[in-house]
Amino acid sequence: MAADTVASRRSGTAATAAPLAVFRGVLRSRRRSLLLWSLAVAAVTAVYVSFYPAMGEEADLASFVANLPEGMVEVMGYDQIGTPGGYLNSTVFGILGPALLLVFAIGWGSRTIAGSEEDGILELEATHPVSRAHVYLDRLLAMWVGVALLAAVVFAVAMLLLVALDVDLAASRLAAGTVGLLLLALAMGTIALATGAATGRRGLALATAAGLAVVSFVADAMGGLVDGLAWLTTVSPWSWYLGGDPLIDGFDVPGLALLATLTVLAALAGLARYRQRDLGV
Amino acid sequence: MNDVAIRVDGLVKDYVTGPPWRRSQAVRALQGVDLAVDRGEVFGFLGPNGAGKSTTIRVLLDLLRPTAGHVEMIGGRPAEVGPALRARIGYLPGELNMAGQRTAGEELRYLATLRGGRGTDRIAELAERFTLDLDRPIRGLSKGNKQKVGVIQAFMHRPELLILDEPTSGLDPLLQREFLDLVREAQADGATVFMSSHVLSEVEDVAGRVAIIRAGRIVDTDDVRTLRHHAGQLVELRFAAPVDVEEFRVLPGVEDVVADGDALTCLLRGEPDALLKTAARHHVLQWSAQDRELEDLFIDFYRLPVDDTLIASEEVAAHGR
Repeated sequence: MAADTVASRRSGTAATAAPLAVFRGVLRSRRRSLLLWSLAVAAVTAVYVSFYPAMGEEADLASFVANLPEGMVEVMGYDQIGTPGGYLNSTVFGILGPALLLVFAIGWGSRTIAGSEEDGILELEATHPVSRAHVYLDRLLAMWVGVALLAAVVFAVAMLLLVALDVDLAASRLAAGTVGLLLLALAMGTIALATGAATGRRGLALATAAGLAVVSFVADAMGGLVDGLAWLTTVSPWSWYLGGDPLIDGFDVPGLALLATLTVLAALAGLARYRQRDLGV
Repeated sequence: MNDVAIRVDGLVKDYVTGPPWRRSQAVRALQGVDLAVDRGEVFGFLGPNGAGKSTTIRVLLDLLRPTAGHVEMIGGRPAEVGPALRARIGYLPGELNMAGQRTAGEELRYLATLRGGRGTDRIAELAERFTLDLDRPIRGLSKGNKQKVGVIQAFMHRPELLILDEPTSGLDPLLQREFLDLVREAQADGATVFMSSHVLSEVEDVAGRVAIIRAGRIVDTDDVRTLRHHAGQLVELRFAAPVDVEEFRVLPGVEDVVADGDALTCLLRGEPDALLKTAARHHVLQWSAQDRELEDLFIDFYRLPVDDTLIASEEVAAHGR
């Protein structure tokens, strides 16, 4: 009788992880950091957007830009700085927005698997009844949700202020820029995560994704400046994001599709390797 | 249902590190490990550091994939069954690391959610037993307190099979005893316990059998009692006056007798009866008997040179092959 209850307790009803258990755990432990990042991104967006009536609309900025070297105007995207779309293109969406989101996404991406593995934290999780694919996809999804949250903050704060300041920019233009920003950060963050998952090396993951981001920024700038190098803009993810001037001309579907494809391919490649390799060596 | 909890045949593991364009030469960590652990037994897995204990264990947990050989556990092969197999296992890593920002309680509850909630109800009870404060962040915990978290997460869901890598490291003697009680309870409850250590004394109280691994190979699988008999004890005696060495040299089970003035040391295997009675004929001032370390055991089991450098170089050779 006693033996029966022992046997029944110890066999049969093997309980494995619920769907999204890892995802929830990751987000839970990132709550604070997510909040702080949201505040930082909101502040940066708010500062830039609220300066527009004072800087962009006034002729001062346009005349200032007119005196800059042509190449610099081109690189910084200042040629349209007098319009709301052009202003946002070269400020929030041109430099600081992507910089913040990329740092966030690449940092998270390289830490969540490779970083945890190097710190030895992943071992307990991986030896629980949860498959490698489950761990990988949950952690990927958590990073995506984090990046999406920041992108949403950019959109919400910018939209709110544009309306409040009575600046004329269609919500669809802002959405086009935000989706591009989101996909660029997702692509680079996913490359960081996938590289880390494939190799278990956080430093390598960080360097690969950050290097790619910088190279694609430079390629975008060079491609726009030098006639013979125009092809660079067709291969640079940065150009896929901003090359179509989404805040002026709206959704650049091919560019967005390319960013999304890059994200998915990186994710799949990382998963394939992560399922096969030795962990924690 | 078979009676074997863990069966390992000819397990070979090569490590290759570095990126594809600069691969290191493969290091063979396991040279063909064979193990058979029966259901319901407490099995000790002994060996010096770097012998391949953790590597073997990590293959069992599917963290590492075997280069060659066959591994079969309670519910199948680790790489094939995956999560469903690990659901029936409790594992304590040899090097335990946990995210610092969570509290001990949060960490344990999180790990329970990875088991579909199994074990959540036992967290409080076990924490009390091991005097662990669940509200403190992991970051601020001492090594011993972290180890308690590790022990609790391994036992809380009452697994069929416990795989414990150096479980008592960091625990003070009182908690070591509490831990050994937990192992006995699990065994009484029908569980199989597979625990590694580099010291025989840590496992001998609970383990029925032990396997000894050395340089990636199992060199002996034996009853604990037999092994203890082989290991023997180092006995030191001090007399009021010098004694005749020959008197002791002829005693059964007594070896390596060395006299130095009024002190006498020897290696005792088996019953101490004859030695005690002979010693009692003299005036004994001091008596000590110490179990020998496992390292000593290796040295004499395999008649290896006692020279440290020789052993070290032999290990390097075994690893580098």
